[in-house]
Amino acid sequence: MNTWKYHPSPDIGTPVADRLQRFPREPGMLAYAVRSIGALFLRAWMRVYHRLRVDGRENLPANGSYVLVCNHTSHLDTLCLLSAVALRRIHHCFPAAAADYFFTSLPRSAVSATLINALPFDRKAGGARSLGLCSRLLQEEGNILILFPEGTRTTTGAIGRFRSGIGRLAAGADLDIVPCHLEGGMRAWPKGKLLPRPRRLRLRIGQAKNFGHLDTTAASVKAVCADLQRCVTQLGGNRA
Amino acid sequence: MTIDLATNSPVFLGYAIITGALLLLAGLLLGLLRLSGRDVSSPLRTYRGWLVMIPIVLITLFLGREATIAGVTLLAGFGFREFARATGLYEDWWMTGIVYLAIFALGVVTLMTDPRLDQPGWYGFFMALPTFVIAIILLVPVVRNRAQGELQKVALAIFGFIYFGWMFMHLGFLANTPNAYGYLLFLIFAVEINDVAAFTFGKMFGKRKLREHISPNKTLAGSIGAIAVSLLLPWLLWFSFPHFSPALLILTGLIVGIGGQLGDLVISYIKRDIGIKDMGTTIQGHGGILDRVDSMIFVAPIFFHMVRWFSGAG
Repeated sequence: MNTWKYHPSPDIGTPVADRLQRFPREPGMLAYAVRSIGALFLRAWMRVYHRLRVDGRENLPANGSYVLVCNHTSHLDTLCLLSAVALRRIHHCFPAAAADYFFTSLPRSAVSATLINALPFDRKAGGARSLGLCSRLLQEEGNILILFPEGTRTTTGAIGRFRSGIGRLAAGADLDIVPCHLEGGMRAWPKGKLLPRPRRLRLRIGQAKNFGHLDTTAASVKAVCADLQRCVTQLGGNRA
Repeated sequence: MTIDLATNSPVFLGYAIITGALLLLAGLLLGLLRLSGRDVSSPLRTYRGWLVMIPIVLITLFLGREATIAGVTLLAGFGFREFARATGLYEDWWMTGIVYLAIFALGVVTLMTDPRLDQPGWYGFFMALPTFVIAIILLVPVVRNRAQGELQKVALAIFGFIYFGWMFMHLGFLANTPNAYGYLLFLIFAVEINDVAAFTFGKMFGKRKLREHISPNKTLAGSIGAIAVSLLLPWLLWFSFPHFSPALLILTGLIVGIGGQLGDLVISYIKRDIGIKDMGTTIQGHGGILDRVDSMIFVAPIFFHMVRWFSGAG
């Protein structure tokens, strides 16, 4: 008689805190259930409490992997973008989140990993390792990456300089980059405040861009960043 | 089981005092050992695990029948989750989903009132549930029209439900008996003491291995010592079930002493067959949930049926 072949989960011996920081995470039914229910609540909250309006939803590619690029005004940005993508793709939608902020304690990691489905992004050393992770993720079919190229939340309301990461990811890669602009985030949840206030939010989704025709030199990386920064700013009506 | 009963019953208070005193004693002992320069980092981790677990168990029991049943159901669910993650069954969401639902159903019928007999806990449905659950699990390959590798999945799902779900849930069903506090507190206390005794006697006198191909750390001396302690415990804690005859006390001791170690060995060979060290990492210094409740899974149903047989509905 043949012996059975078992396939223990690869993270079986790791403590919960480390397991949550791993990426890619093992898909678990419990996490999926929590995330699905959470996503429904999130959508309701965004619509009722923040009167979220989404323009240009039709610009989101129906299939395939793509990157959502948005200005970073508050924690609400991620939540807005998460409630803009199709519900059935929620488990394959990964907001890049600073590992040194969102994965520092067990409760934080638990929320980031299960509810938000965050990709722990290592901001140190120019994020080289994490960018490799992102590009591997995007080579697979049907994954969505949410990226804030400014790297941190704005405190002035102005859109900060886009870091080179998005350029390195996009230049020379056949990859759809969707620029978005969120308005009202800073008023609704300023940096340092504990809870968001009931202010209106407006998300504008622009047309997807593809930088596959460029090479991967530093000049094209810079050009991609500048181009995307311009797109996002324009979506905001040049006001920022 | 209600808060009112817990505050007025000498049984609950008695166990709270006993466990509190034991924890204090163990803490002092560990502190002394540490002062004398020994490395106590490993037992200290285990001790910290107890410091978290004991209050949770006591508070859950204190809150009464509903909280206890909900707690045992949750433990069964997360215990099965560990088993599924260890065997690879977790990749099959149909199978695991059905088992989770079935464990939830066990919790519901344990909470319900028997519609015919008007007693807490629907005993008949509880006992009949495995039939239906097995039938549903067996149907899954038929519904998805697949044969390759299905027997292993079906077998693992049925085993997982029966062992970690149904057998373990008998502990929750004990909450429906009139003497629930006595039974539950004694059982949890005695099973854990049995574990500790096996470990301690094994460390002190252990030479011959008990089952060297299953668990090389268990020794014959530890096993005999644990059975001796377990035989003694019901007499010392007679106040938990004053209506028990001496014969029942001996039987209780045997069930806890032998059953507890069998449960331990069962989890050991499951782990060894799969090729993992611990079932999980949930409890600091103890491994997974199943590494902690392994003995209880074996003891709870046998003790439950002993109680039911000898004292009617308990």
